[in-house]
Amino acid sequence: MKKLLETKNLSLTRNDYCIFSDINLDIQEGQLINIYGKNGAGKTSLLKILAGITEHTDGEIIYHNDLDVSTSWRPTTYIGHKYAIKNNLTAYENLYYSLESSNDEQIILDALEVYKMMDYKDSLIKHLSHGQQKRISLMKIITNFAFLYLIDEPYSSLDEDGIKIFNETVQGLLSTGSSVVITNHTEINNIFPNTINYKI
Amino acid sequence: MNYFTKTINKEFKIASRSGYESLMPVIYLFIIMIFFNISISYVSKNIILELLPLMIWISCLLICILNLETIFKEDFEDGTLDQFLIDDTNKEEGVTAKIVAHWLLSNLPVVIVAPLIAILLGIDYHTSLILFFSLLIGTPTMSLLGSIAAALTVSLKRNKILMSIIVLPLYIPILIFGTSAVNNSYIGINYHSELLFMGVLFLVFLLIAPTICVKALKVSLD
Repeated sequence: MKKLLETKNLSLTRNDYCIFSDINLDIQEGQLINIYGKNGAGKTSLLKILAGITEHTDGEIIYHNDLDVSTSWRPTTYIGHKYAIKNNLTAYENLYYSLESSNDEQIILDALEVYKMMDYKDSLIKHLSHGQQKRISLMKIITNFAFLYLIDEPYSSLDEDGIKIFNETVQGLLSTGSSVVITNHTEINNIFPNTINYKI
Repeated sequence: MNYFTKTINKEFKIASRSGYESLMPVIYLFIIMIFFNISISYVSKNIILELLPLMIWISCLLICILNLETIFKEDFEDGTLDQFLIDDTNKEEGVTAKIVAHWLLSNLPVVIVAPLIAILLGIDYHTSLILFFSLLIGTPTMSLLGSIAAALTVSLKRNKILMSIIVLPLYIPILIFGTSAVNNSYIGINYHSELLFMGVLFLVFLLIAPTICVKALKVSLD
């Protein structure tokens, strides 16, 4: 399997307080990494560092740049704690404006279909429940293809059906060779092959 | 639709559904002008007419500062900024589109209404026209310059005062040349060099502000 990214002794310190240290990750194609740990362990910070949003204080991140740039795939898609959707836009519009390089509207309709949100296509986000907003946020996984997906606590706010759809989506991503890093509070077993649980 | 027009289109759609918010800057300008007229009503009309374009200019500058916070704040709060910053492409283009949309929505209405207020209050047409042109060049420069301060302070909770402290000294050249152009027009002397200098300032900031903004946003989110 091709290596996408690796970290060597990654550490983060804020105001002399060590949030985490010596994180050694090895992310390969088609692999799911579940980073789990208690509140405040630094899961979100680690994900943001991997996404390049924040800086680490020590250690090294090595991105393997031999990705197939002929595709329209992005290097990374990041779905954070915050949903990154606009209250005054409809579900469809939110997904449409999140498409950066293409204007492929069919992919949005497909995503709405997969996440069973077609009936809410033209509803303003502010009129949807938290769980539905989360689904819209997670749909960006489908509309923005990437080599590496970084998803912060994907299971929070989702109902049973939402969790099932998300798992199926991740399964699909892994089978196409993308890698997925998620954060969670517990270990994940028996859902995906090639899952690596990493306690932080 | 390319990324630039898409971003502007998005901002307009959001603003159109935000109700009366986009009218606020114009209402604010009207209120300041009413207060100004009440407070100096005892002064002779000639002095009022001389001060009026300058007061309008200062009011527009203050409105511009009050609006600055909205450029990136909502995107920061809802997480859009995080997603925006991880993309290697389009960052400068996206930031420029945000600033342009912000100027079109928050400052252009003021730029259009301000000369009309000046005419209503008795300023001659020519001076009002120069007021319009000086604001048309000056306010986008202020938006570009202010966007850097907005980016630097986006993660702070009470950032309005800090932002004002950062940008007010930087606005002095724009204020001096803007008011000078209007004043020169009022007293009938040449004002072209002032407008030209403002134009150069605008072009300089149009070139450098988006890049600095992206760097400032990165620093703020770290």
